[in-house]
Amino acid sequence: MIKRKLILIMENKPGALVRVVGLFHQRGYNIETLHVDSVKDFSTYKDIEKKLETKFEDNQISRLTIETMVSDDLMRQILRQLNKLIDVIAVSNEETTYLKGVLLDENLL
Amino acid sequence: MQALHDEGVELIFGYPGGAALHIYDAIFRQDKIDHILVRHEQGATHAADGYSRATGKPGVVLVTSGPGATNAITGIATAFMDSIPMVVISGQVASHLIGTDAFQETDMIGVSRPIVKHSYTVFNAEEIPKIIKEAFYVATSGRPGPVVIDIPKDMTAPDNLFDYSYPEEAKIRSYNPPIEPEQNQIDRAVEAILISKKPVIYAGGGAIASNAEKELLELNEIIDAPVTNTLMGLGIYPASHHRFLGMLGMHGTYQANMAMHNADLIIAVGARFDDRITNKPSKFAPNAKVVHLDVDHSSVSKIIEANVAVFGQVKNSLKLIKETLEKKLDSYDPFALQPWHDQIKEWKSLHGLNYELYKDESDDHPILPQAVVQHVHEITNGKAYVTSDVGQHQMFAAQYYHFDKPRRWINSGGLGTMGFGLPAAMGVKLAFPKDEVVCITGEGSIQMCIQELSTCLQYNLPIKIININNEALGMVKQWQDMNYGGRHSESTYQNSLPDFIKLAESYGHVGIKITKNSDLSKGLKKAFEMKDRLVFVDIYVDPSEHVYPMQVANGSLENMWLSKDEQT
Ligand SMILES: Cc1ncc(C[n+]2csc(CCOP(=O)(O)OP(=O)(O)O)c2C)c(N)n1
Ligand SMILES: [Mg+2]
Repeated sequence: MIKRKLILIMENKPGALVRVVGLFHQRGYNIETLHVDSVKDFSTYKDIEKKLETKFEDNQISRLTIETMVSDDLMRQILRQLNKLIDVIAVSNEETTYLKGVLLDENLL
Repeated sequence: MQALHDEGVELIFGYPGGAALHIYDAIFRQDKIDHILVRHEQGATHAADGYSRATGKPGVVLVTSGPGATNAITGIATAFMDSIPMVVISGQVASHLIGTDAFQETDMIGVSRPIVKHSYTVFNAEEIPKIIKEAFYVATSGRPGPVVIDIPKDMTAPDNLFDYSYPEEAKIRSYNPPIEPEQNQIDRAVEAILISKKPVIYAGGGAIASNAEKELLELNEIIDAPVTNTLMGLGIYPASHHRFLGMLGMHGTYQANMAMHNADLIIAVGARFDDRITNKPSKFAPNAKVVHLDVDHSSVSKIIEANVAVFGQVKNSLKLIKETLEKKLDSYDPFALQPWHDQIKEWKSLHGLNYELYKDESDDHPILPQAVVQHVHEITNGKAYVTSDVGQHQMFAAQYYHFDKPRRWINSGGLGTMGFGLPAAMGVKLAFPKDEVVCITGEGSIQMCIQELSTCLQYNLPIKIININNEALGMVKQWQDMNYGGRHSESTYQNSLPDFIKLAESYGHVGIKITKNSDLSKGLKKAFEMKDRLVFVDIYVDPSEHVYPMQVANGSLENMWLSKDEQT
């Protein structure tokens, strides 16, 4: 097991963060570090905006960085579980991104 | 209420209280939606759940804050584990009181969070139509599940008016469940099918949720594989079909478990390889490739690694596989499966379930629970909706009542909730008043929601309750017999059972007691002849019966107990 980083963008809605953190707890995964920002600069998310045919606006989107100690198999499972949360727009480890339920072989975040 | 009507809701199950009174007043002043007053909020959730399982439509529940909301929790968890679409509206204390430990304040969103697909709090009354639209969309799409809407009392106050319009469609940019599978995944699935000599189709609740009955049947007209169903999937493939193996898993048939263990290809259709199916995952089906059709990414390769993953509505995936396979029929020879079918036939004849039990009407032995189910099957021509509770009676019902259609077998598979059967039967009966609805239960389970007998009287719901009375928490006792040296710790009641006949009568229903094997057939027939009455049939069965086959703990699927002293 090594420390791995996950990046996640989600709707900035009440309760959204609790759902993410709760999922780690519920499935028995441990969080090493957690960082949350409200996104102001959307320039890096142009691809995502285009794919979702949407426009992000100020204070709408949160960006989470989570570090966790897990095996490869577990990592994949965590990604998929996070992707399942309704408020999560995209979740990525170093190699893949789940964007709105679709798996992409690139790191979009 | 207007939004619920615009959503197409016809029926709500609920129980009033302070925080929901504005909504209840609105119910009083309209006549488009029927409200069913239950006797306990758990009953409301199970009834809505039963209604949903039988019809495919979402069940709707309305409860008040605090105890009303927490009483609904078991039913929400039950629906969540079995992916049943449900919308639960809970009243909440007024916005300005939230967080003050006000009277009947519970953080319903927090309490229900791990057991819902999603939840909403209403912060502005104008949002109500949009939230209701979204809630129904989320509950019913993708992998379905329960959604909670928590509404503070001031949001429904009559003076809190706004311009009402109901949205045409819900669009959530962060939610996009897969619908159409990708062709390259389909191609890989078809390749695997073409080379398989020992395929098994393993279909579960997801196939029912996707209404994939016809597509599954049509695909297998080509493949001609043996088919097994999970406890949740019973009915998606006709039990009377000659390729049907019966249920698999913990109490699955010998032939179903043997076929899975020895298969070279498992086609999983809306099933999730849970621990009641796989036994020890590392020993599971050692030679099988797995093609997994599912709508939920996180269910695939969670426990058993899939060689081919097909994401999408399984109905669509099955159809596409069939169309693609049809183009390659030249290279497919269904007769190559003959040795496999012969093998399965042999397994069936070795240790298949004994369907002759019920023909013996002598009093040389006590009533057998399996025979009760077989009689009920015969009397109802296999056409009834059967709800069940949890325990041995549930497994006997699953094994011996043969379902030829989906949505007829209504039981709590994932959570295993005792108390589910009676309220679920109410939901089914309200949806299909002309059909026969039977609740096969045990004397333990039925007592967990027995108060709903009163609801059945109020709304005239003539269901038939078949109480398989073994005077014990039979399934617990069976485990104690097998694993704890027969020490029956707290699994019997020391002669404290109520007189169920008097109990049913005091609720205004009919009770019939059966204790002798020779009376079984007559007694059951009499009960089913009373078309317009709820009949509670209390049947005393052999308390020493166990459910077999039963998986040997930590073994592979081929390790089974076949009787008290016989193991594979
Ligand atoms: C609410 C709840 N509590 C406890 C259990 C554990 N449990 C599973 S089966 C069972 C016994 C059920 O007894 P009964 O309804 O009489 O059915 P039987 O097994 O005797 O047919 C128990 C206690 C459960 N499934 N649900
Ligand atoms: Mg019992």
